Parts: sequence; structure tokens; C-alpha cells
Amino acid sequence: MSGELAARQAALVAALVDGAADPAGMDSTRLSAARRALLRKRSGLAAREWPLVAAGMGAGWTPLAVEVLAGLPVADGLRDGWVIARVARERGLLTDGARRELGERERRYRFDGVRSPRPRLFHRLLGR
Amino acid sequence: MAAVEGAAAAVGAAVAAAAEPPARPRDGVALQGVGIGWRPEIAQVVAGTSGLGFCEVIAEAITPAAPPRGVAELRARGTAVVPHGVRLGLGDAEGVSSTRIAHLAACAEAVAAPLVSEHVAFVRAGGREAGHLLPVPRTREALDVLVSAVRRTRDALPVPLALEPIAALFDWPEDEYVEGDFLTELLDRTGALLLLDVANVYANARNRGQDPSAVLDRFPLDRVAYVHMAGGAVHDGLYHDTHVDPVPAEVFTLLDEVRERGAAPAVMLERDGRYPPAEALRAELAAIAATAQLATPDTPVPHSAHASPAVQTGEPESAGLPPGAHR
Repeated sequence: MSGELAARQAALVAALVDGAADPAGMDSTRLSAARRALLRKRSGLAAREWPLVAAGMGAGWTPLAVEVLAGLPVADGLRDGWVIARVARERGLLTDGARRELGERERRYRFDGVRSPRPRLFHRLLGR
Repeated sequence: MAAVEGAAAAVGAAVAAAAEPPARPRDGVALQGVGIGWRPEIAQVVAGTSGLGFCEVIAEAITPAAPPRGVAELRARGTAVVPHGVRLGLGDAEGVSSTRIAHLAACAEAVAAPLVSEHVAFVRAGGREAGHLLPVPRTREALDVLVSAVRRTRDALPVPLALEPIAALFDWPEDEYVEGDFLTELLDRTGALLLLDVANVYANARNRGQDPSAVLDRFPLDRVAYVHMAGGAVHDGLYHDTHVDPVPAEVFTLLDEVRERGAAPAVMLERDGRYPPAEALRAELAAIAATAQLATPDTPVPHSAHASPAVQTGEPESAGLPPGAHR
């Protein structure tokens, strides 16, 4: 009954977030604009969870965020920003405050790059 | 789990389409005045603004057992609070999860809401979250899916449901309806109300090369629960409903027309980021009030005169690290 609708919806989501081909008959220019808008939105949500990392990078945040998030499955601002922050660290783009923001979270939580961060055992035992 | 729910939803849609039970009678709703989308980042500004008719909170950001303090305080002051869902997925072909519906209902009870709202959109498909509100094809098949989902949702809610048509940068080649007719049939078949997002009407009309007034002519303006106003910007030659920019003059012009049509009893400002200073936010609220001819929200006695220490330090409502707590 909804087989056709389900397939069309799945094709659109895959095209927007997985880099799959645009669904048949759709306007490629419009879908490209939608893809970019989605990445900008995710960049904003990630910046909200990582204010020091984002502020430290200034105008460089959005281009880096868009580059990193393209093709990365949609998670949430915390996880998206974590991936971006790690890339920024590798590239030497973090300010002191940003390094502290990332370091504090890496110390307290374990993040595998995909699943929701989990408190490290030491901190769980201390009830922090 | 998803496959079973999808199959059940498909059967439900088939049954609903085959034997249409009468829609529930339209419920009376009394949201009035100027409102604002409550966000932790502007909790202080909202707390320091008197005369707000209502506020709206993102349902997925609420833990029903413990709503944010700022929201609870508004409720205690007698300001109506409306949970606004963004990830229910009423248009999802795979069907809506009972868990998400139950959460929306719990939010309504937690804040004693007079109504709740969601979107005419889908948000996930093929096991992937889109992370955004996406337009459904305006087809009979999609309408049946929406009707089924809205009815299931309404059955679980203690209060009325308003539906918001979204801004879409693209349309589907298989569209069978224009937006207004699609909406009208959806509301006729479900008894849901309209959350009229004026910024979305403007954005869609502009990007489709249509006259927004002509678009409004086909909208079910006789059952508006409340109105959204939001800002946007032009990127790549298209108008984007960003929610992080000021509200453009053209959107105010459209609000004035909506008011003339008697469809703006309650109007709120929706802002999701790049928050301007409090004065600028309040100026936008004042402009909304003036255009819609509603009472202007204002500042009560100077905030510092009676603020608690925690509020004065500007502690964000969601300090600390709540992994996954945001939507």
C-alpha cells in the first residue's frame, strides 16, 4: 500500500544525507541546495554544543563543519560537533579554550565517533 | 520493530481509507496574543518579558518528568505552553512510533498545554534519520498515511493538535494537489487545526514563483490555532527559512494580510539560533504585535531588581553535558 511512497521517501533521504543518486524526476539544483542547507543547519546545531571550539574557529567553523559532516549519518549536535572538533584538533585549528572544551569531554566520556558518548568508568564510580 | 510498525501502519491506512470514520468534532482553542519559541539560550529574555500570550517548546527537548525550570516558571505565571514536535514523522511512510506519540502526550500533560503541534512532513525513511523536516509528495497515498498517523496521534492526546505545513526547497514530480487543497483535506479528515507559518507560506510562494495571496486563498484559514513568524535568508538564489535571521519585511506584509483575513489570533516569533540582544528580540515581538494588532509584550520591573543569583550569573538552563538530550 505505502510501498511506493516508502521507496520514494527512502530514496530522497539517501540522496540528501548518503550521497545517493537523486530520485527520478526531481530537480537536482533544488536537491543540492537542500543538501547544503541541511549541512549548514547541522553545523549550527554542532556549534551550539561546542561553543568554544566553534567560536575559536570563527568563520572557519562552517566550512570545516560542512566538509566533515557531508556523508556522515545524521546524529545530533553533540556527536557531530565531536567529530568536527577531533578533525580540527588534528589540523591544529583549536584555540586554548577549544582544546580545553574537547579535552574535558574526552577525559570524562568515551566516544567512538558514532554512538552516543558514554561516561568513562572512573567517573561513573565517582558518581560524576 | 520498525517493520512490524510499518506493516501495521500500512494496514491502518488501508482500513482508514476504505471506511472513513467521521473526523472528531473541531475542538475550541483559545491561544491569544503574542508568543515566542522558548529556548534555553533566551530563557532569561523570556522570563524578563511580560505580557506574552503563550510560548512554545520543542517537545523532543522536554523530559516530561522534569520540564526546564524556565518553562515551569512561565506556566506558574499563567502563560500557556504549547509543546511543538519536530521528529514525530506524521508523514513517514513507515508509520509513527507509539513511543514518540506517547512522549508528545506526556509533554502536553507535563506543562498543562491547551494544545500541541507538529508538522506535515516526514523525517525518516529507509532506516535513516533525515535530521530535518522533508516535504511529502502531495499525493492521495501520502494523504492517507498522514490521515492515519494524525488520527492515531489525536487519539492519544488529551488536547487538540495543530499541524504546520513546512517550507520546502523542492517539490515532488508526482504531486497531485496544491498545498492549500492538500492541507484542507487533511484537516477535514482528521479534525486537526492549522498552525499557519507565515514565513513558510512566503518562502514556498517565492521559491515556486507564486503569489502568496493566491496561495492563502486555498488555505483552510478558518481553523488557525496560532501563527508562526520566523526569519530567513537568500542562499543560492533561493529563500531559506533559516530561523536564525531577522524576519524580513515581506513576511510582515504577509502577516498583515493574514490578520485582515481574521486568521491571526495568536502569533509567535520562532528563532533557533544566532540570537540577537534582548532589545532586538523584543523589537521583533513588538513589530509582530503591531502588525497583528495584538498587545505588545514588554519588560516588567528591571530584571536585576528581583532576579535570583542563579539567573543573574546567566547560567544556561542546560549547563553541563546531557549527551543526546537535545533533539
